[in-house]
Amino acid sequence: MNLKRLNAKLLQALFCSVLAILLPASAMGAEENITVMNPAIAGKLAKRVPLSPRLDTLQGKTIYMVDNQWGGPEGAYQLFEEMQVWFAENMPSVKTILRRTEGNMFTDDPALWKEISEKGDAAIIGTGQ
Amino acid sequence: MSRHARSVEELGVPTVATAGINIVNYALDYDFKYSNGMPIRYVAFPFPIAGQPRSVHKEYVAGKDQLTGQPVMTAIVDALTTPLTDKEKMTDTASSAQAETEPRFLAPDTEENLRHLFKDKEWTDYNPIILPTEERVSEMLTGTSHKPDEVINTIRFMPGNRELTVEKVAIAAVMAGAKPEYMPLLLAIATRAPFGNSTTSMANTIIVNGPIRKELGMNSGTNAMGPYNDANSVAGRFFTLISKTAGDYRNNVNAWESLGSNLQYNSVTIAENEEKLPEGWEPLHVQMGFKPEDSVVTIGTGWSYISSLGETQPAYPAHMLIRDYLRSLSAYGSGATIYVDPTTASLLKDVNGFETKLKLSEWLSENVEKTVASYWGNGVIMTSNMAMAFQGLEPYASWQKMSRDALIKPFNNPKAINVVVVGGSIQTTWFATDFRLNPGVRVDDWR
Repeated sequence: MNLKRLNAKLLQALFCSVLAILLPASAMGAEENITVMNPAIAGKLAKRVPLSPRLDTLQGKTIYMVDNQWGGPEGAYQLFEEMQVWFAENMPSVKTILRRTEGNMFTDDPALWKEISEKGDAAIIGTGQ
Repeated sequence: MSRHARSVEELGVPTVATAGINIVNYALDYDFKYSNGMPIRYVAFPFPIAGQPRSVHKEYVAGKDQLTGQPVMTAIVDALTTPLTDKEKMTDTASSAQAETEPRFLAPDTEENLRHLFKDKEWTDYNPIILPTEERVSEMLTGTSHKPDEVINTIRFMPGNRELTVEKVAIAAVMAGAKPEYMPLLLAIATRAPFGNSTTSMANTIIVNGPIRKELGMNSGTNAMGPYNDANSVAGRFFTLISKTAGDYRNNVNAWESLGSNLQYNSVTIAENEEKLPEGWEPLHVQMGFKPEDSVVTIGTGWSYISSLGETQPAYPAHMLIRDYLRSLSAYGSGATIYVDPTTASLLKDVNGFETKLKLSEWLSENVEKTVASYWGNGVIMTSNMAMAFQGLEPYASWQKMSRDALIKPFNNPKAINVVVVGGSIQTTWFATDFRLNPGVRVDDWR
């Protein structure tokens, strides 16, 4: 670097330093903080509800299997049938009852829930998707 | 699924819920937190389940629980027999329905950092937004007489009972780039927020009728559906932003459309070209029972949007091609919305003899046929309507019993087939969609 170019660089650095002292930060490119409003809305948490007590064992018990027809009546029915096969082979004392809900995945079926509570010991419910 | 499991648990029966891992992740997190409140025990299968052959389902049952890595059936037995943890016994009656809190203002930061924050929080459509300073929001609120703290909509889907206020609408309006005079329209739109959200690719339409169209300079003519007008563009974008902010839509948290929909950027936002309706054809809002001088916005939900491409051919006029296109749609709820250019509308009326929109709807209802196999081959139809068939409800019960090749008329409610006139009279084109329209909302109520 020749002397002339070095002098020019030094002058440029001096000029920038003086500017930094004299001008506000915003004029030098540093951003100021701003405050904006929050678009999000708080959600209400659901009321906590406990699970019912578990069984000591499934041996000799009746398990209802409920297909809620997500994907249609054949969407997952055979999945439950395969579970029935598993219980028959591996836990033969377990009685399984396979049912479809009266409605679909979006609707309730209180009559079936009542039947399960009266005749069943446990339930497997599903299944999508 | 989680609601069903909870219903049975509440009757004292230990229950395990099963689903694909995509659904279980949502159920364990968002659904538990804001909707169900019961720590249901889940066992997760690989995804997808529906549509798979028995051999795959057999493998699923013999395979691993996608949550724990245990064998599926071991996980099911454990879920029904392992004693409850303290967390699973927890009740919360004293402090039920607690509210989370969101501050009115965000922490001060640089504009660049705030832009990043809005994107990180998924509050934008990832196009640049106007940051909602208090001054800008106050100015936006001058566009309505309604108080900032007025709750206009409690959003229950997704769960969380989020109370949408006029001020939150104004914030999203600023973000979308709206003018204060847009506020009555945007408030009316916000009463229908958020937009449809499913694992399928849901889409929406926003149709504006009445004097507000002219007041806001909306485009009902040439390029009405394209990016050529401020009010059309901003109102559509606003619906996206209010759905994401107020609806709390977040990718893979509670928004899990497998492919998504490009229509969610603008929601096919148009004004009906009422000035070019053929004589005898009523504007959409008048068909719904509003007065012609009312300003009304109507929002529809569906999935599909198909263009007619080119000129209407005399040998095969528009209504016949529309009929053909509708065959490919699901007919969910018998819903369809046909957008026709004024020139097409004139041909349909003057040449083809449809003296009213309803006459065209009735003709389509009577003439669109599809096979039983095609109708039930749609997953949404199968999931929602087959249960009605099993309950003996007509016409689904009969359609379920017919042979696969038999033809049915699935658009069985002509009043659900809507016709909207829009466009610049440059080409005899039209669009066929499966949008089902909600009742219109009076914009004038939000001035």
